[in-house]
Amino acid sequence: MFRRRHREQIPELNTTSTADISFMLLIFFLVTSSMDTDKGLMRQLPPPPQEEQRPTDIQQENVMNVTLDANDQLACDGTLLTLNQLTEQVMAFVADNPDEHVISIQVDRQTSYEAYYHMQNAIVAAYNRLRAQGGANGRSSESRQARLDGRVATDEGGANAYPMRISEQEPKEGGAR
Amino acid sequence: MRKMQSMFRNSSHELPGLNMASMPDLIFTVLFFFMIVTHMRHDDVKVQYEVPAGTEVRKLEQKASVVNLYIGKDQRIQVNGQLTDLSHLSSVIEAQRRKMDAENAEHLTISMKADRHTPMGLISDVKKQLQKSFALRVNYSGRDMNKEQ
Repeated sequence: MFRRRHREQIPELNTTSTADISFMLLIFFLVTSSMDTDKGLMRQLPPPPQEEQRPTDIQQENVMNVTLDANDQLACDGTLLTLNQLTEQVMAFVADNPDEHVISIQVDRQTSYEAYYHMQNAIVAAYNRLRAQGGANGRSSESRQARLDGRVATDEGGANAYPMRISEQEPKEGGAR
Repeated sequence: MRKMQSMFRNSSHELPGLNMASMPDLIFTVLFFFMIVTHMRHDDVKVQYEVPAGTEVRKLEQKASVVNLYIGKDQRIQVNGQLTDLSHLSSVIEAQRRKMDAENAEHLTISMKADRHTPMGLISDVKKQLQKSFALRVNYSGRDMNKEQ
């Protein structure tokens, strides 16, 4: 009478819905994820002015005065110009005297941030273009050699050749709007 | 007339069901990818702003050492999660710096997300406060104009 009992089969786990569950999670993360990366213009501010610090003397011919007035009018050394013209002028000016030049920026307290941003952007564009050309013009033979060897990224060599020399003045007290 | 049974051709044309067993694995892979790349925004922004656009913008690296500074349309200032004003700005920045570990504090970067129409007077005052607290690396946040065309 010891009949072998029929072995009970364990039913397999039904995993059909795993796909649905993970799909739901996937869609949740797709929706909430923000791939946006923070982008912008990088700047180094000067340290706070010291008490006994004296303004350094810079030869006037090495200074380019870029101004923005209260009505967001852009001017360079007293003449009005557009952003593209500013880029070209800065390029010419910096290429002329890469180590000594100073770009002096003077804004008004009423100038809008957007106008200021576009001006900064135009100046950075000038430097970037010069740096891209940098080695080709033989500005720095060392960096050009490095580029030929493929050792150094173009920006590195160019950054040494054309240091960014920008000086920002105290904004002027509210002009006419 | 009935066709003769071929020796090679199988007469039954039933398609086997597609094996779906690997589907969850596949989806889990994609899921993990998104879980890793996603980062939840932790400070809720209390000011309204619209950053200007530029062509020369660069990606901001080292997220851990970035302090977000928002300047809204109504000229209110917010640092990371909290609203503040000009007079307290440098102490708030100092507090943020103390929260970071030494290496990040050294590379402290201010990501300035200011509204397009903010007057430069306010921006300049903010910059002066930043100088005071020696937060000298500033990133003027902006949209990438090249991408939008």
